[in-house]
Amino acid sequence: MMLTDAAKRVHPTSWWLIAITLAVVAGSASSLLQTGLIALASVALILLFREDAPWARSLGFYLSIAAAVVVIRVLFRIVFSFSGASDSVLIELPRYQVNFGLGAIELLGNVSAQAMLGALLDGSRLAAIILAIAVANTLANPRKLLKSAPGALYEIATSVSVAINLAPQLIESFARVRRARALRGQSAKRSALMGLLIPVLEDTLERSLLLAASMDARGFGRRAQQSVRELITARVLGLVGLTLNLIGVFILLSGFSAPLALGLLLLGLASAAISVRITSRRNARTSIARSRRTAIDYALLAACAVALVANFSWAVTTI
Amino acid sequence: MISLKNFTFGYNSDEPKLNRVNLDIEASSFVLVCGATGSGKSTLLKAMVGLVPHFSGGVASGTRVVDGIDFSRAMPHESAHLIGFVNQQPEGAFVADTVVEELAFALEQLAIDRDEMIVRVDRALEATGLTHLRDRKLIELSGGQQQRVAIAAALSAGQKILILDEPTSALDPAAATELLEFIHDLCRTQNLTAIIAEHRIERLVDLVDQVIVVNSDGSVSMGAPETQLQNFKFVPPLIELGQRLNWQPISLSIADASARFAGEKLSEPKKIAHLELGSKSVEASAVTIDYSNTRAVAAVNLTAHIGEVIAVVGENGSGKTSLLWGLQGGKKLSAGSVSVAGRSLEGLSASARLDHLAMVPQQAADLLFMPTLAEEFAQSDEIAGVSPSTTATLFEKFSSRLDPAIHPRDLSCGQQLALVLAIQLVKDAPVVLLDEPTRGLDYAAKKQVAQVLRQLASKQKTLIFASHDVEFIAQTADRVIELSAGRIVSDLPVEAALGYRPGNVLASQIAQITKLDSVIALQQVVADG
Repeated sequence: MMLTDAAKRVHPTSWWLIAITLAVVAGSASSLLQTGLIALASVALILLFREDAPWARSLGFYLSIAAAVVVIRVLFRIVFSFSGASDSVLIELPRYQVNFGLGAIELLGNVSAQAMLGALLDGSRLAAIILAIAVANTLANPRKLLKSAPGALYEIATSVSVAINLAPQLIESFARVRRARALRGQSAKRSALMGLLIPVLEDTLERSLLLAASMDARGFGRRAQQSVRELITARVLGLVGLTLNLIGVFILLSGFSAPLALGLLLLGLASAAISVRITSRRNARTSIARSRRTAIDYALLAACAVALVANFSWAVTTI
Repeated sequence: MISLKNFTFGYNSDEPKLNRVNLDIEASSFVLVCGATGSGKSTLLKAMVGLVPHFSGGVASGTRVVDGIDFSRAMPHESAHLIGFVNQQPEGAFVADTVVEELAFALEQLAIDRDEMIVRVDRALEATGLTHLRDRKLIELSGGQQQRVAIAAALSAGQKILILDEPTSALDPAAATELLEFIHDLCRTQNLTAIIAEHRIERLVDLVDQVIVVNSDGSVSMGAPETQLQNFKFVPPLIELGQRLNWQPISLSIADASARFAGEKLSEPKKIAHLELGSKSVEASAVTIDYSNTRAVAAVNLTAHIGEVIAVVGENGSGKTSLLWGLQGGKKLSAGSVSVAGRSLEGLSASARLDHLAMVPQQAADLLFMPTLAEEFAQSDEIAGVSPSTTATLFEKFSSRLDPAIHPRDLSCGQQLALVLAIQLVKDAPVVLLDEPTRGLDYAAKKQVAQVLRQLASKQKTLIFASHDVEFIAQTADRVIELSAGRIVSDLPVEAALGYRPGNVLASQIAQITKLDSVIALQQVVADG
């Protein structure tokens, strides 16, 4: 109980920061011990800090995906084994040659301990990354996260958070209509899906309209006045930012000149940021939720930074 | 405080929904809006808020003035700081997940400073007596609490006008009365102007200052309750009694009507005509229904006979709907068994059960999915395996003939109910189950439904329906079963269940007025006219 209360005070972006740190470290892990520890840490974090909320109930889902990734990776390695002659053989399987006209492919055959270990490491690395993302998805309250979106994105953020609220209602109305449909009996001509989809869609549409009306009646859609010049400046800066970023990414990927690419990217980002800032001024709203970062968040930020730097320097020295 | 001048609105100019409306509602008045189902009560309220025409489509002309400011062309959000609006279904209009955030929403839109916002939210919570729910999740609240939160949220920015569209339609009678008294108190203590549309006129007619009647031709009139209701057609038994006995002015409260009724010299009241019961039809023994961690129905035993009409009553959440679905088979029983005419239904598929039990669910429109009325009829004939137009013929017994090209979703609540009833009855199942068949219907439509159900009973059917509507039950049922927390707490003939008895919350209006033994329905005291 104490821990979940503490978790509520952590800013949702901090959970994402922790998740990204864990994922980066997992990505450069070079032993099963490391990936295993990261996976264990992720699961422990989730179990300790999760609240009783719909988005916090998906740990089982992530665990099964992670397990599936490991199993699939290992199976692939057994089927397409490329064991060197010197490797120690773990399992002996019959060898098949398949020819699809594109050259022969060897299937199965001897499976070496090294190959298995490599496959396990690859799989567990991916699994650890998946579990790290699960930390963010199960611990960061999506509503709070949306509330810390910049003002220019207010309308989109509100739509998404309303959609999150409506999802359980949609499931409920599906169940209700399906039960009601059974009361009419089956028709040979019409598909049952029609009878299910149409009432549910009509229901959803009616609800959305009701909600939109009610939100407007409560003041949603009010905006501060903004001059045409400001609007045009924001649009132009946004467009310029986008273009510069595109060119920057292109140059970076083509390997033409890294400093030039970085310069363009920085310039593009700055211009986009100014555009968002100007547009946000139209948003004359306030918020009751104080989603300010606290000392806990800064401590977490510092810890993540240390971990990332350590991970990076360790990776450099081991290469 | 709020006025409409020469306000006309409609989807086509031939039949306007609102026709040259001229209203001027004074500050701090409490106003009831009434009219038949589909007459445009909701449209009138939404026109005051500004949602009509912006969120309804259609064409509007005329002016809307709120607190001295002209908002004729303005979007609803421009007058949001003056008017609070609450819908029929608050749960569908919530935007946040906790009470405090829901209350803050309007303040956030108005860009109130955070410290001031917290003060205002707390003030609104205190004024509405909801302080103890401040940090609760909205989905965990009961229907009555949700409605209160919706009202508090509509007033949190200090709005002086509160407009409510049938706020009690999803509540049980006790919760409904409580909510209306709550609104009335709020109006007096906060100096609010409240405008409220409500079918169950009797619940607040003696509290209001003015009554607005919306006629089906789109014309609207406003006046004192007594004069407005003197000749109004869609009224509860309390008012209808006064109309039939030519009381001038008519009574608006049970106590007043009761005193005047005692002075009337009327012939001996008639007895309610019950049909002679046939053999046993539905037999349910020890029916138990569980949801993941709650027991909705606990060991219910029930026997219904051919020709019998049984009403199941009880608060919201007492297990009425679950019991009906359990009998029908749409909800699996945890224990117990159901048989019809001596034949156990256990192991029968859902479609095989349809030959024994027909059911009309709470949201009857869930069963409709074809684009036209004609196709619904054809679909129904095909599924039931009957000759073409059997369903259409049956439908016309319940409703007037309609354009076959009409979309079923465009029908009124009453017409949709008639359509679903026809579709469900065409298979001629011996038992008919109905879940709240009068939801959203006006008094005239309810009378029609009651007639249909009595007709069915006389055709050797067994009917079981769940309802909150005491006056409808008085006209329809032979027997009343009361559920509480999934158990049967009483099983009485309708005259006893709804009869006059101190402390009987189910007593019908006529029972409370006449205070006579076994007199519960209007037709017992005055001849049908």
